[in-house]
Amino acid sequence: MKRLRSLRWRLLLATVAAGLLALALAGVLLAGLFRDQVMRQFGLALTAQLDQVTAALDIDARGEAHIDATTLSDPRWQRPLSGLYWQVDRRRPDGSWQRGLLRSRSLWDAELQAPQDLLADGSVHLHEAAGPAGARLLLAERSLHVGASGGDTANSDGGNGGAGPQGAPTWRLLVGADLHETDEAVQRFNGSLLASLALLLLLLAAAAIAQVRVGLAPLRGLQAALTALRQGRTSHLEGRFPTEVQPLIDDFNAVLDRHAEGIARARTQAGNLAHALKTPLAVMAQAAEAAQRPTQAAPATPTPGASAQELAGVVRQQVDVARRQVDRHLSRARAAAAREVPGARCAVEPLLAGLLRVMARVHAERGLQLHSEPIDAGCAFAGDAQDLQEMVGNLIDNACKWARQAVTLRARIAGGAEGARLQLQVDDDGPGIDPALRERALTRGERLDEAVPGSGLGLAIVQELAQLYGGQLTLGPSPAGGLRAELDLPAAPPAAP
Amino acid sequence: MRILLVEDEPSLRAALRRDLEGAGYVVDEADNGRDAQHLGDTEPFDAVLLDLGLPVVDGLTVLRRWREAGRTMPVLILTARDRWHEKVDGIDAGADDYLTKPFHTEELLARLRALIRRAQGLGSPLLRCGAITLDTRSQRVTLGSQPVSLTSHEYRLLAYLMHRPGQVVSRSELTEHLYAQDHDRDSNTIEVFVARLRRKLPPECIETVRGLGYRLVAP
Repeated sequence: MKRLRSLRWRLLLATVAAGLLALALAGVLLAGLFRDQVMRQFGLALTAQLDQVTAALDIDARGEAHIDATTLSDPRWQRPLSGLYWQVDRRRPDGSWQRGLLRSRSLWDAELQAPQDLLADGSVHLHEAAGPAGARLLLAERSLHVGASGGDTANSDGGNGGAGPQGAPTWRLLVGADLHETDEAVQRFNGSLLASLALLLLLLAAAAIAQVRVGLAPLRGLQAALTALRQGRTSHLEGRFPTEVQPLIDDFNAVLDRHAEGIARARTQAGNLAHALKTPLAVMAQAAEAAQRPTQAAPATPTPGASAQELAGVVRQQVDVARRQVDRHLSRARAAAAREVPGARCAVEPLLAGLLRVMARVHAERGLQLHSEPIDAGCAFAGDAQDLQEMVGNLIDNACKWARQAVTLRARIAGGAEGARLQLQVDDDGPGIDPALRERALTRGERLDEAVPGSGLGLAIVQELAQLYGGQLTLGPSPAGGLRAELDLPAAPPAAP
Repeated sequence: MRILLVEDEPSLRAALRRDLEGAGYVVDEADNGRDAQHLGDTEPFDAVLLDLGLPVVDGLTVLRRWREAGRTMPVLILTARDRWHEKVDGIDAGADDYLTKPFHTEELLARLRALIRRAQGLGSPLLRCGAITLDTRSQRVTLGSQPVSLTSHEYRLLAYLMHRPGQVVSRSELTEHLYAQDHDRDSNTIEVFVARLRRKLPPECIETVRGLGYRLVAP
């Protein structure tokens, strides 16, 4: 089973199986053709012998048949059981045959058994039949209607069909030859055919092995390149590969480049974050020192309570700064990870349902009516599900924070099959945002109201993510009275059936 | 009200415990998923604060196992994981609310109160029974318009009963919900607190149901 996983074995096996089938068919066909040919030759030779015997037949005035054995030159006629025989039968008036009226010496005391049929006058018929000593014979037979007064030649009135002239006896001449030799010839031929076909198959298999070796050789080069890559000696897969493999290598190198880029970016980001956090840490450290100093140096100056109060204020403030930095970097990291993945697809309906379940719990205390208008099952976003969740989640969350009673979602596909857009609307019946302030609401770190908890990044993150996907977030007035946030994103084509 | 606090970060756990106890809750702690699950399976809690990134067994798994075992106590997930798909996972695993770190203590307490209240099917943070009013936010009790001064133990007992008006509450149930696991429990103290409450409130409002327990009724 393990061998089946090797390409070499699979290719080899397939070649050998196909070759075996083709050669077997060819073998059967060739053997059949050869046998037919041999049998036809043999039949022709036998017919010639029959013609000789027919010529030697003489019917005298009394209606007795004679064969002039001297005209038959083949010595096998004389040698007992030589494999070549003749025989003359006569048809009795009652229709049965009187067999072996005249026989070749070679037949000895056996008889040739011909079928009980009546042939058209003069025509020759070939059969296979059992002969003396169990041999298989090919028989050639010919019927003659020659009357006692008739001439000494055969074929007198051939046009008369099977029925001879009234009273004229019907003769049948049989010539038989042993098939032993033809069988041997066929067997010899089959033997050499099999041997040559087997040799051919071996050659084919060897060719397949060579082909696989030559064909797969570049893969070994690829393996070496990969090893070099893994050991860090190179940063790419190097070398030229066959045109069938090269696109794979190019793609792989592109992926490597992208990863290297990503790592570089991640390092920069981590460095940025570390620096951004150093400032509030430094401020807090200073504040802590300042809080300690008065109690050590001058116990009379400000009370410890006041300085503790101050310190707490500074810490709280700086923690807030640090938290914002962390949020900013986190969202930037996420946005950087969001890339258009070709072929990515996520259905909108189940995703919105999940978000609504969360909102119903998280904002349970508000008693809001969260409602989504029916969404078509084919409504899908061409991108990462988590990114869509992040965008829509922030929009719904924002709407829930401000809504008085109800939040409504709508999703639909606009535009044709090419460049179709997914449009999502989130409506609330809250106070809305003043048109002059809408622009600011989409800016990083801007918070229009400090009273509601949040980092002030929600809408800005949505906008950034949407833009990464070539989309747009727009804020406008809602017919319900509050804010309408509308997301325009690339739609995924309908799922393949 | 007895709360299970599951958090593996010791300083945050200590701070939370202080805040919760300050708000009148009895607190049991677990610092890993396995202990949390065991406690949740064996002890009756009125609410659970659950961190997700826990040692041994993670929080979501613990929550799923509780829900599979039919444990219905309200669970508030408290985690730094703030992506929406993580919230969806949390709610779908059976959480009742989700709060991301960092958070404000007041918001946590407000959400916790709301959770406990909703678990008893009560809509308002002001609980009323006859002339008695209990404000879960400020932990203040008034009789008519007169404020009633209660000790923390008396308050907890009354709050538990006020969350279940008209229901018979057994003495052992009260003991289980008013004391943490490691507390030396003595059911006689319940009787003492009931007697004290009867003195401060209309005596007939807490009925003794013989052999079963107590019931809060509107006088």
